[in-house]
Amino acid sequence: MAALAQAPPPDVGRRRRSLMWRNTIAGWSFIAPNFIGFALITMVPIGYLFYVAFTKWSFGRARWVGLDNFERLLGDQRFYTALFNTAYYVVGHVPLTFAAALGLAILLNRRLRGVAFFRTAAFFPYITSIVALAYVWNALFSPDFGPVNAFLRFIGVDNPPGWTVDPDWSMPAVILVGTWRDMGYYMLLFLAGLQTIPSQLYEAATVDGASAWQRFWNVTLPGLRHTTFFVLVIMTINSFKIFDLILVLTDGGPGTSTLVLSHYIYLKGFEENDPGYAGAVSIVLFFIVLAVTLIQYQVNKRVND
Amino acid sequence: MRRTLKAAVGLATAASLALAGCSSDNETSEVAPFPTGPVTIRLAAWSLATTPEFQTLKDGFEALHPNVTVELVEYDAAEYDTQMIADLTAGTAPDIYVQKNLKNFFTYQDGGQLMDVSDVVAKLPAGTNASMYEVDGKAYAVPYRQDSWVLFYNKDLFDKAGVAYPDGTWTWDDYAEAAKEISAKLKEQDPTSTVYGTYQHRWQSTVQGFALAQTPGADLSSGDYDWLAPYYERVVDIQAAGGQVDHGTSQTLNLAYQAQFGKQQAAMLPMGTWYVATLLAQRSSGDADVFNWGIAPAPQFDSSTAGLDKTPVTFGDPTGLGINPAINDAAKITVAKAFLEYAAGIEAGKALAAIGITPANTSDEVAAIYFGLEGVPTDDLSKFAWSRHDTRPENPVFEHTATIQNILNDLHTEVMTGSASIEDAIATAEARVANEVL
Repeated sequence: MAALAQAPPPDVGRRRRSLMWRNTIAGWSFIAPNFIGFALITMVPIGYLFYVAFTKWSFGRARWVGLDNFERLLGDQRFYTALFNTAYYVVGHVPLTFAAALGLAILLNRRLRGVAFFRTAAFFPYITSIVALAYVWNALFSPDFGPVNAFLRFIGVDNPPGWTVDPDWSMPAVILVGTWRDMGYYMLLFLAGLQTIPSQLYEAATVDGASAWQRFWNVTLPGLRHTTFFVLVIMTINSFKIFDLILVLTDGGPGTSTLVLSHYIYLKGFEENDPGYAGAVSIVLFFIVLAVTLIQYQVNKRVND
Repeated sequence: MRRTLKAAVGLATAASLALAGCSSDNETSEVAPFPTGPVTIRLAAWSLATTPEFQTLKDGFEALHPNVTVELVEYDAAEYDTQMIADLTAGTAPDIYVQKNLKNFFTYQDGGQLMDVSDVVAKLPAGTNASMYEVDGKAYAVPYRQDSWVLFYNKDLFDKAGVAYPDGTWTWDDYAEAAKEISAKLKEQDPTSTVYGTYQHRWQSTVQGFALAQTPGADLSSGDYDWLAPYYERVVDIQAAGGQVDHGTSQTLNLAYQAQFGKQQAAMLPMGTWYVATLLAQRSSGDADVFNWGIAPAPQFDSSTAGLDKTPVTFGDPTGLGINPAINDAAKITVAKAFLEYAAGIEAGKALAAIGITPANTSDEVAAIYFGLEGVPTDDLSKFAWSRHDTRPENPVFEHTATIQNILNDLHTEVMTGSASIEDAIATAEARVANEVL
């Protein structure tokens, strides 16, 4: 190999280079349709965002203000409220959705009459229009006339919460609806993961006298390690950028009890006409998500080692 | 859905920055004569299928000037300002665009996106109020429609409850009294009645708009919001006493004010005059019941402005027209200015009134046309309420209007859902305004 590289016959080298060149072209042409779209619609605006965040932006005219936007951010109480609420949502939504999705997947990963129906049913919320489901959930949560509280009163709860119109319960309500909506999607990922675990492992474990719990702990979970990691990363990122559900369910209220970072960016950028400042908040959100994802990668690496 | 929009706006702004090179220094100060050859001007509009006013203005102006074509450029009603900002940035915005409310006027004007139209304002009929569009003595838009908030009431339900109609002298305490009384009396007659004395929609303006317009000394930019307290105390009391459906129920059941009043679920409704046209349309389509109704002036802060011999104070943002300064064709500018003059004038006022719209000009001639429409209540109080009022802006123009309104909207949802007392909510809002704005 080394000898060949040292003194290649001239036409072989040229042929190889032209082959490489042709392969490169072919490769690029395969990813081009996607990449051009991604570059134009995602990459360029993101790059531009890193410029806008350091300016006072108005109708295409950007005045450079250096770190002003970020300094303002440090003293902005509404930003901290949104940051706290976002963390609240992530901490509530990720474990809950994870458990629900995994539970559903295990439940529906067996030969069962009508399993396809139940799987479809669990996946349904995910493909339902978010506006429609927010309307329905709001009605279900209605403090005086909603079925949720009617049920709670029926089982003896005297003062059921106001849910979406009660600042202490609005975030739990949003988390519940978020979990209900997302669990079907992640269930699907877990189902795919479960199918890759060889059934011999379960048989061997059963022969060795392992209980159902031990089989779950020692066969299922390790077998799902890669799926679990992927699900956790995607779920965390998606939870950090939660926006549409909250916008239609509570619009950030009552007060600021469900104001999250993405919503705050929207308010600043499009309602309060301060795109530069909204850009600064976006960048902070970007780095938070980046940091959390990197930590997840590190933890995953350590667990795998 | 919002995300794609955001991406599109980002893309548009990025692209425009690269392409347009941002030049708006081509101001033309000399007035060109009105062109005689064919000219096309583009006018921003929204929801053309349900908003006939733009077609009316186009038809009226084209009839006056046969060589001019007005091309309507349709925008999304809910995202109008976002899309307009993107188009202005990209340099593709229409020649004339609408100021849908006053909340974003500062952004457009301060951003150099509105042409000085003081010369047009000088030619408008006496009594036209364009002061809200003035900055440093120059006007940057003209109003063509001016809805004001009034009190709609259902005469049949008042009769059924045996409560006297509003008579034009009402203060908010009279209104609160009537709301509670109607609910109670209807409940007495029929314990299963779910009809309320009044319906107050979820918008912050239903409380804050009146408080700001009517309270002496109230100022949105002051950072002091104690003037909101009496208005909220009254509303919370009406809500607690069952005079109106509570905010939480309205929000979670997503109640529509059109259905609440139109289907006779509430005897009163404070609302803008735009609702007259909607109610009439819904009556003929069957979406609203047919009943006797009228409009009364908005209840007042105190008796000093209440009464038929006085001018009631209310609020409402005008809808205005401004010119995109990026037009660099002198003939087009002349035509655009002529269009503004037409739209804010008496002729357009009559044409708009004829389709049930409240124009900026509510002179007697215009009022006669409006009240000649089929189904519009013709009693004297309704006429008085429609044509006589001191309408203050809902969104006084200054740099931080949008931010402060958002903060006060949080106050609104807190107080109306009972999440915080009005004192605490005001303290929070004042602290936030001090923190974020002042």
